[in-house]
Order: sequence, then structure tokens, then C-alpha cells
Amino acid sequence: MKKRDVITQYNLPTEVRFCKLCTVSNQRPRITFDENGVCSACNFANYKRTKINWEERERELVELCNRFRKGNGEYDVIVPCSGGKDGSFVAHQLKFKYGMNPLAVTWAPLKATEIGRRNLDAFIQSGFDNVLGTPNGQITRKLTRLSTQHLGDPFQPFIYGQTNYPMHMAVKHNVQLIMYGENGEVEYGGDMKNAFRPTREIKDHDKHYFSGLPPEFWVEHGVSQADLKPFMAPSYESIMENKTEIHFLGYYKFWDPQENFYYCREHTGFQPNTERSEGTYSKYASLDDRIDGYHYYLGYIKFGIGRTTSDAAHEIRDGKITREEGQALVRRYDGEFPQRYYQEFLDYCGITDEEFQAVVDSWRSDHLWRKTSEGWELKHAVWNDNGESQG
Amino acid sequence: MKKIRLIPRLDIKGPKLIKGIHLEGLRVMGDPQEFARRYYEQGADELLYVDVVASLYGRNSLHDIIERAARDVFVPLTVTGGIRSVEDVRKILRAGADKIGINTAATKRPELIREVARKFGSQCMVLSIEAKRIGDGRWEAYTDNGREKTGLDVVEWAQRGVELGAGEILLTSVDREGTREGFDTELLSAVSSVVPVPVIASGGMGRPEDAEKAVRQGSADAVAMADILHYGRSTVGEIRAAAKAAGLNLRTV
Ligand SMILES: [Zn+2]
Repeated sequence: MKKRDVITQYNLPTEVRFCKLCTVSNQRPRITFDENGVCSACNFANYKRTKINWEERERELVELCNRFRKGNGEYDVIVPCSGGKDGSFVAHQLKFKYGMNPLAVTWAPLKATEIGRRNLDAFIQSGFDNVLGTPNGQITRKLTRLSTQHLGDPFQPFIYGQTNYPMHMAVKHNVQLIMYGENGEVEYGGDMKNAFRPTREIKDHDKHYFSGLPPEFWVEHGVSQADLKPFMAPSYESIMENKTEIHFLGYYKFWDPQENFYYCREHTGFQPNTERSEGTYSKYASLDDRIDGYHYYLGYIKFGIGRTTSDAAHEIRDGKITREEGQALVRRYDGEFPQRYYQEFLDYCGITDEEFQAVVDSWRSDHLWRKTSEGWELKHAVWNDNGESQG
Repeated sequence: MKKIRLIPRLDIKGPKLIKGIHLEGLRVMGDPQEFARRYYEQGADELLYVDVVASLYGRNSLHDIIERAARDVFVPLTVTGGIRSVEDVRKILRAGADKIGINTAATKRPELIREVARKFGSQCMVLSIEAKRIGDGRWEAYTDNGREKTGLDVVEWAQRGVELGAGEILLTSVDREGTREGFDTELLSAVSSVVPVPVIASGGMGRPEDAEKAVRQGSADAVAMADILHYGRSTVGEIRAAAKAAGLNLRTV
């Protein structure tokens, strides 16, 4: 399989640097580092703690709710929600604290886990209307295989639906407000133009979420327009005509995923897994999909940033762990191969172990990886980084 | 009739008391010393300190906390988490602990149990087992705060541990930990029916009545509790009164 040019494709710096405060490196696409070697996500975390007047922001939220509140029995807000801790928190707060009438919208996982399904059921039982969008299984599998082979990420078809389906439901149910949890671009490091405003521009979708490849791309690979339709956004005109606005609760309320977990345990019947997820130490984040592990693993290969690096970075910014603890966690778990569902994953995609490994190796960039007698090894690891300025 | 002990469990990370769910999502509760003093004043029989990240980070940081506790808390202190050698045991006993619990290091090298029991006595050697249900009437022992499998069958491992010299078993249900759903009484009874030493029930205490169930249905000798006390949903005194009213034999405070 032809070697990929990760540096060009994702516009990565050729020299690897780690943030001085967290575990993330400058290899995360779109992240920026300041002159002190601190990443944009850490700077935002600090800004969020010290500069934002959260009482003022909550007043803005109440105004926003009042602007969209219908009071006639119709839904007045769409909450994209898998039944996980974050979406469930958003829906529960909007309904029971701010008196909105939300419709929770779920896009089906590629291959659901039992715990994920149980949590979605518990969420619905805790008092919500929910629509579950489930696309054609054969086409989803085909797209999963294609996106694994061509993009090095099995999650692409899921991300299409997860992003676009709530907009379909907004148009269909005449709902003008879509409320997400956190803005990942801001909280985890990305394009900071969204840091200081509550909304997301719909035209950013292709760039941030679809790696520049909208669903239509796959026509070239023999998927018909009709089969791609459920993965596509509603027409731009219909979104505009509906006056759809996308907002983030994280703009209005202090966002703390761990506290969301406790909140959902109390209020929406959420249960964490009893086992940690492969590739990380955590038990309560991203539990819904058996394919998860391969998405994170390929991210580790492409950018040297695995699931633990991201989880630890976020917990460091939230003050839950120290950088030193994060480094120990990354060293221990980041490169772990997701073995548990591997055969299922291969069968689901219809590819062989050799084919998958060829995909993996095609994404190993020379600026990140070297081959030793023991196997592949990262050239730069955060656990060797002392956090001192390297400039 | 045996006397049942009530044991507040203090999970520690760094300098803080924390509380998780399934030993995860560790929430900072405050200064462990304040909680320890409060539970002592409420009439706790013993205190259990668990360094929940010791194995994960390969460190062992309870010395200072235990030294402070031993100065104004006058009940037996059990300390577990990150103890890997006879030397570690000596240090923590010197800091003021009365008993030590071992989990991870014992699963890797069971001989350590014998060494500790020989050196300091069985009454000092608590085998800590984190049990995760893997089928009907079957549990696997986990380490690293419920993160890593060992492949060991919990009941067999408990028996082996006692043969090697463990004088007590701290039995934590990973499935129930932090859930407030009550103890896994099947697990408790599976272990307590085959070992001659006391078994401490841990994981799941949600209401005062759960203590009675652990004793009557699970034959536990002691009950560890965290969430119910840390969040102030009940006190050691209230739990003692409820257990006494239910006819259990407890120390009179
Ligand atoms: Zn950072």
C-alpha cells in the first residue's frame, strides 16, 4: 500500500513539540502553540477559568432559551445525544432546569456496545423523546471499509450522520435551535475562531468534521447518490430557510466532563463501564461503539496522539490529574492495540488482518515513527518530555 | 456471635480524599484528615486508607497522611495501595498503620503474602481483592483499581491467599463500587464460606440496611463504606444504630 503523506494532508509541523502544560503535541491537526510552548486548548482552559463571567453567560443562555421557547407543545431545541454523559447532561439541563422541550436525536453507532445501548435506554426512561437514525447496514459497512482504506479512519460514515442527522431533524420538526455540549475545536485544540462565540458555522462542517471529504466523495468508489443520501446534510437552502442555529452549551455553562458523569449518574441513569476502554484508562467516555478503538488507534498512528493522550490532556486542563500523572498514563496505555473487538471489526469491514495492518503502516510518517528490532516506536514521546522550554 | 466492624473507606489520590464510581471518574472530596477525624468521632471501629493510583503511577504516597491520622485518630488503620515489598510494609507500619493490604503486588508474586505474614504476623496482612463478576457465581480478581485482569478466580485466590498467611480479606466488588446498589452478597458469601479469616465487604453501600444484608446474606465480618458517608447521606452512628436495631452484634460506643 502506498505510503501516505500525513504532513501535507493534515498540514502538520515536521518538528514534534509537546505542550508544556498538558500531554498533547503540535501534531494534533489545527492546534496552535503560543510563544511559551502552551497549546491553544490549555490557554482556553485557563481563559475559561479566569476570564469568563459565568453568571453573565448563564443569563445569555436564559435569553437564548426564551428566544427559541415555543410553549405550544412543539419541540423547541434539538439535542444530539448518544445517551452518553455529555449529551444527556445537555438535554437534562435544558429540559429540567431551563424549561425547554427538547428532542434528543441519536445517530446509531456503527456497531453498538451493550453498555451504550443500556445508557441510551436509561436516558430515554429518565424523561426524553428520542429519535434514533439508523442507516442501511450494508451501506454503512461499505462506507466504513472505504473510509478505513482511504482515510485511515473507520469513523467517517458515523461522523457524517452524527453531524448531519440533527440538522435533518431540525428542518423536519421545524426546530431552529440545535444545542451541542462542548465545542471540540475549542476545548481540545483547534480552530480558535469559535472560542469567543456560542455558535458554529455550518459551512465549517466539511473542513472540521469531514476531513475535507463530504459524503458525496464516495460516489467515485461506487456508492450511489441514493445510498449516500442519509449521510448527507439537508440542502443548504432548507437549513437557511429554517433559520437553524447551532449553539454549544459549553459556551454558556462551565464544561466539566467528569462532573457531567456524576450529574448523569444521578439524573439520567448513566452507568460507566466496569472495564476500562482499550487504549486509555477511562471507563465513562465514548462507550457506545465497538469500532471506537480503531478510530483512536489510527489517530495514534497518524499523529502519535492516542486516546490516552487526549483523555489525559483534558483531565490535566480540568485539574483532575497532573502532567506527570498524565505522562505515566500515556506511557502505559496510549499505544495499546484494541484487541477486544478486532475480529468483529475486521468481519464488519470485510477486510483481513493483513489489509488492516497495511493501512496502519501506510499512515506511519517518518517524522513520528522508527522501526526497531522490537517493532515500531515513536521517535518523540511525551513521557520523555520534561516540560521545559525547548526553544 | 461475632462482632461486626464498621469501617469508613478513604480512597486517596495524592494529598486528597477522592471518590469514584467503579473506581473511576475520581472526584476530589477534600482533606482526608478532616474526614478521618469526623468518622472517628462518629464511632468508626477502624479506618481503611486506599491509595487508588499507587499502582497506576508506580508510587506510594500515604506516609504523611497516615502519620497525621495516627496522631489524632485512635482506631486501627489499614493501609493499602502500592505496597510492593516487606520494606514498604515496614515503612507504612512505622508511619502508624496497624494493618496493610496488598493487591497488585500479591497477584504478581504471591510469596509476598507469606513474607509479610512471617515478618509482621498474619493479623497485619490483609489480602485486598478487587472482584469483577465474569459469569454466574464466578468472579475474576482485578488489579490497579479495577483496571487490569489477572485471570485469577476470586474464590480460589482468596483461599490461596489465606494459605499463604493473609489474616483478613478486603473484598471489593468492582461492579458495585460507587453505585449505591448494595453489596454483592453472593460474592461475599462465596468467599466467606471458604476462608476461615474475616472478610470485609466493600463496594456498593447505598443505605444503612445494606450493612445488615452484607452480614446476614454475605456473612461479612466487617463493612467498608465510603460514598454514603462522604456525601453525608448517613453517619457511622446512624448506620450502627440501624444495624443494632436489626439485631447485629456491634461494639457499643
Ligand atoms: Zn496543552
